[in-house]
Amino acid sequence: MTPSTLALLSLFVPLGAAVLLGLLGPLRRTGRPAAFVSVAGALVALAGAVAILAGGDAALKPGAHLVWGWLSAGPATAVGIHVDGTSAWMLLVVTLVATCVQIYSLGYLHDEPPAALGRYFTYQSLFLFAMNTLVLAPNLLQAFLGWELVGLVSYLLIGFYFRKPSAAKAAVKAFWVTKFADLGFLIGLVTLYAKTGAFEWTAVTPVAGFVTLMLFFAVMGKSAQFPLHIWLPDAMEGPTPVSALLHAATMVAAGVFLIVRAEPLFAQAPMTREIMAYVGGFTALFAACIAVVQTDIKKVLAYSTCSQLGYMVTALGAGDTFAGYFHLSTHAFFKALLFLGAGSLIHAVHSNELKDMGGLFKKMPFSGAVFIIGAVALAGVPPFAGFFSKDLILEAVEHHHLYVPLAALAIAAFLTAFYMTRTVMMALFGAPSHAAEHAHEPGIDMKLPLGVLALLAIVAGFGGSWLAGLTGHEYAFHFTLVGGAGTAIGLLGIATGFWMFGPAQGGAPIKRGMAPVGVFIRYGLMDRLSTVAYGLMLAVGAIIAWIDRYVIDGVMNWSGWILLVGGRRLRGLQTGNVQDYVYAVALGIVVLGAWGILR
Amino acid sequence: MSPDLQPLLLDALLAGGVLLLLVVDLFLKDTSKAVLADLTALIFVGLFGLSFAVDTSGSAFDGAYVGGEWPLFFKRLFFAIGALTALGSRDFVAERFMRRQGEFYMLLTSCVLGMTLLPGAQNLVLLLVAFELMGLPLSMLAAWAKTEDTKGQDRDAAEGGMKLYVVGAASTGVTFFGLSLVYGMSGHLDLAGLAAAPGSPLLTLGMFLTLAGMSFKIGAVPFHMWVPDTYQASPTPFVAFLSVAPKAAGFAALAAVFVKGFGSAAAVWAPALLAITTLTLVIGNLMAIPQSNVKRLLAFSGVAHIGYMLMALAIGTGEATGVLLFYLAGYAATNIGAFLVVNAVGGRDADVDIGLFNGFSRRSPGLAACLLIFLLSLAGIPFVVGFWAKLYVFIEAWRAGLGWLVFLGALLAVVGLWYYLQIAYAAYIRPPAADREQPVAVDPRTRLAIGVCLVAVIGMGAWPSPFIENALAAAKAFIAH
Repeated sequence: MTPSTLALLSLFVPLGAAVLLGLLGPLRRTGRPAAFVSVAGALVALAGAVAILAGGDAALKPGAHLVWGWLSAGPATAVGIHVDGTSAWMLLVVTLVATCVQIYSLGYLHDEPPAALGRYFTYQSLFLFAMNTLVLAPNLLQAFLGWELVGLVSYLLIGFYFRKPSAAKAAVKAFWVTKFADLGFLIGLVTLYAKTGAFEWTAVTPVAGFVTLMLFFAVMGKSAQFPLHIWLPDAMEGPTPVSALLHAATMVAAGVFLIVRAEPLFAQAPMTREIMAYVGGFTALFAACIAVVQTDIKKVLAYSTCSQLGYMVTALGAGDTFAGYFHLSTHAFFKALLFLGAGSLIHAVHSNELKDMGGLFKKMPFSGAVFIIGAVALAGVPPFAGFFSKDLILEAVEHHHLYVPLAALAIAAFLTAFYMTRTVMMALFGAPSHAAEHAHEPGIDMKLPLGVLALLAIVAGFGGSWLAGLTGHEYAFHFTLVGGAGTAIGLLGIATGFWMFGPAQGGAPIKRGMAPVGVFIRYGLMDRLSTVAYGLMLAVGAIIAWIDRYVIDGVMNWSGWILLVGGRRLRGLQTGNVQDYVYAVALGIVVLGAWGILR
Repeated sequence: MSPDLQPLLLDALLAGGVLLLLVVDLFLKDTSKAVLADLTALIFVGLFGLSFAVDTSGSAFDGAYVGGEWPLFFKRLFFAIGALTALGSRDFVAERFMRRQGEFYMLLTSCVLGMTLLPGAQNLVLLLVAFELMGLPLSMLAAWAKTEDTKGQDRDAAEGGMKLYVVGAASTGVTFFGLSLVYGMSGHLDLAGLAAAPGSPLLTLGMFLTLAGMSFKIGAVPFHMWVPDTYQASPTPFVAFLSVAPKAAGFAALAAVFVKGFGSAAAVWAPALLAITTLTLVIGNLMAIPQSNVKRLLAFSGVAHIGYMLMALAIGTGEATGVLLFYLAGYAATNIGAFLVVNAVGGRDADVDIGLFNGFSRRSPGLAACLLIFLLSLAGIPFVVGFWAKLYVFIEAWRAGLGWLVFLGALLAVVGLWYYLQIAYAAYIRPPAADREQPVAVDPRTRLAIGVCLVAVIGMGAWPSPFIENALAAAKAFIAH
């Protein structure tokens, strides 16, 4: 089969599964059989993606472009698929992580009622379709449709535990914040179409600067860049496998993928790139600082995701698309691994809190080992996956003389290694908590995906040259000063973490001093930031309502009294304040009339 | 029928339908009058089907009325709205106004007759007559609940109808005054003549007064104040009608007088229209946020949508006018569907508090999914029609150099998502009240009507091409004629 046929298979089989489960209520409510339908769909999609890449990159070099005319009038556009090295690889990453997560969910959500499980897997299949629609998009409009659809499915999946009010609130917040950012995408699209008459990835236009800036605004929402990152930590209220798939590996990376895909547009916009480098660098550092003081294992990983997305955005801002894309791939593997590993720990102790864990390594050597593999990969220890991509990013940023972001990334690298060591030490070693005493390893359905992802977290870094060839770039690992320094900083972070949270439990004064800061960041700063952003609109609405009620009505009454004294007699009608409404009409008419005469 | 009356064929048949309803009503017992709803729906469906079979082009009354694609688009829209309203009203009206069913459908039908006559009118007098034929039955229908129910809702209903009537009368007066100034200064009653009239301050004044008067019908700010009160007090299935049909007719009238009649003087009226557009967008969206009554919330949401449509009108090009038609059709399908679901949930309660939607998805999952899709369409999320409608408007506005308005509109669309999500949040996440756990009762005809709306919303969202093409062709014919 040709790559495009295979890609269509990967796209539509999950959709078929979703539709089947969506329409056949009885099947969906059976729970596990419904889950198998969804998993089978994901496996087919994965097989399709593997087959495309196995076909060799000769077929992928020009890129298979298969489109059907969709809208002929209005903004004419097509839907279809575009299969080249970039989208084929992303398709593999997405379907692979999705398959792992779905299989893992079989074990993780074992205790859910069958109807809820069926609904969960329906959303999972729908998510895979939505994400693939975005990945394979031949133009920006289709990408936008997929973009919105993943947002919607994310809303449904976060709100999966709808009996938990905090999950429901988080779902609404996530949807609303990302949707707010999406208005940038919409305006970018409208501008692009109005100027070029198409929605092409490769458009050449003088307004590229503006369009890319708008697109980047949307990316800031979806890929959780400061200050639009506020939804991501809350989204952790969803089930942990969902966090692994959507909020670590794929959906949040969609923003980065969008920039990779729209490289020709961004290449025309040096200003946007510079802004990206600074926003990304700041996010990487800021989120890493917050991750250090989290006590909830999922929150640590959530802020870590923000931080790593900041790395990718900085790399793209430096103009090195491949570095960003490479880190996206390796991060997808090791962060999904970390989340699923954390899920395994959470599953064992029934708590997200690090203090409820401790000493779990002895009880759960497999889960503990894979979690450590994920952690060292994230910390950038050679030769694990994160080392290569992080090294390349630092090198790229240095190469483009972006020294401020480089410094931010370097400090973030230290903090990353530090907070991961802290998490590993607190969760896996030390004195076991009460809850940890009865912990035991999960079943094979959860171990298998962990094993696969752990393997990838170890070896994926060596695929860099191959991936570069596939996507039309050049890359070979070579030692540089900045890369070596980055690695050294990471190792220093691990050492510091080990000193403070390992058996020595050193640096007690620092910990004591930092404790109130941590409390402030966890409970004060974040809540305040998001409350301000969140409450702002409500406040504006209330003010407008107040103005409407007291000021406009008052002015209406007053001017109405002057203009229509005879209207007083209308008060005898006893129909409430209908006079006011006539006055409103009258005032409007007077204003318009005056405008008409005076202009 | 003489060839001269060919363009009015469908309207003449509809007038016959009005009489038929009157006559049949006389022969029915009160208990069996519900069949009138089916008859009304049948008349509309029949005319809708017929509109594809007969040729209604040409002109009548010495060019005062012109047929063709533009009026045909509106006629189809009005027939569809009429049929859906009749289906959705049947059980509600039969239960609450058993003795006055005949008049309800008769007035509904004559109201639609006024609407179908309006878009083809090329003469100001005919335009106004059609406008009033539409407007008077609306006030009566808005007050329909006044006598039957003695539990205190009658006063609200009478008040709602009265507000519509009084404010409507004031603005009709203003429209008449404005158009008489226009006639006095230009010496023409036909739209083509207006286009050629030389500009003068009094003509401008007349133009603006007309704009003000007509803005009332569509509920543009600051002429919107009747909207929430009337929606709240009126029978909900009728609100479904009121929230879409008169708006479409109002836009037809505005387009006729401004885009066409005063098209050459766009520089004069466009700024005023843009000011109204901006106000309508801002006030509509922001006022919807604090509402806890779903009917009032949807009323302000409707005002906000009028703002997006006004945006298209203010641009004034053929493409933008076509986009306006598409928006109207998509908005009609979405809003009727939403109000019919609200009616099913609210039942006999005149005030549909948002709390009544708690646990809706667990009581009636199918119906709740329909509501969610309508809300997503109102919010402008892809794959449903509301998205395309907004996207098209934004693209046209951007092309017309109204970038700031696109920003504002897109920003306010996000605000809109907020209040639509409030309803979805109640329906999907809050648990149902203890005494409201049974499934929501929906009669089969309402079910059918909601189903048709759903198919339209999803169909136009998945495959908008034929609809937007049709709308663009209609607008092209309108501009060219």
